[in-house]
Amino acid sequence: MQISTEEMDGGVTKVALDGRMDIEGAAVVDLKMNLIAGGARKLLIDLQKVSFLGSMGLRSIVIPARAVRSRGGKVVLFAPTEMVATVLKTSGIDSLFPVHHDLAAAMAAFE
Amino acid sequence: MPGEDTVMHAPRLTLQSRLDDLALVRPWVAALAAEHAIPEDTQFAIHLCLEEALSNVIRHGYRGEPNHAVTVDCTVSGAPDQAHELAFVVEDQAPPFDPTTSPLEEPAVPASIDDLRPGGRGIRLLRGFAGSLAYQRLEGSNRLTIGFAMPG
Repeated sequence: MQISTEEMDGGVTKVALDGRMDIEGAAVVDLKMNLIAGGARKLLIDLQKVSFLGSMGLRSIVIPARAVRSRGGKVVLFAPTEMVATVLKTSGIDSLFPVHHDLAAAMAAFE
Repeated sequence: MPGEDTVMHAPRLTLQSRLDDLALVRPWVAALAAEHAIPEDTQFAIHLCLEEALSNVIRHGYRGEPNHAVTVDCTVSGAPDQAHELAFVVEDQAPPFDPTTSPLEEPAVPASIDDLRPGGRGIRLLRGFAGSLAYQRLEGSNRLTIGFAMPG
């Protein structure tokens, strides 16, 4: 699992996850995800390169996302693949955090 | 021969009850995927369901105690050129636990961020991604059968 961040326009922090968010992958990114979330008011979680998402992986996204929201910030989940999107839908997470496949729409969601 | 049902059994996967052993699942499934031409989406569902079922056994069933065995068997039934089924049977000797009927911790759609718990979605995902799910309590063991339909 790889994790990288990029500061985008409008104070948006993009965190990109790359790899399998299985139990092992989730453990690799956990600490960094929470550190990034700790400092972000607008968090774009780029899921384009996430090839797998299980319940522990989902937890590693939900916990930092919830932290941003509880401080009054916004979180957008960006461009999950079809199966990852199904995980987000089946778990109900897509009803709490907006999912966008188009970057312009994702960025607009922070306004 | 056409119309004849075949049942093929893959080599059994045996794990010790440690989360580290979950790393053994991926190559085992990959070998099955190659041999039986399992579509990518089905492989995703298989990985998700096995990860969930096995981690539940390890963390909850065996309460994190290592040195207990969990086994996974795979049977492929039906002819390869017809719609057929892959069944994964997860068996352990932990106390009774039935993921098909255990109450779900959270509603399908959490009411708000404040109601959002860090975890507790695993069983919902297991039920959602398994083609079929069946539980049996045998003498001293839990047997969970997770089925996936395969295209013809």
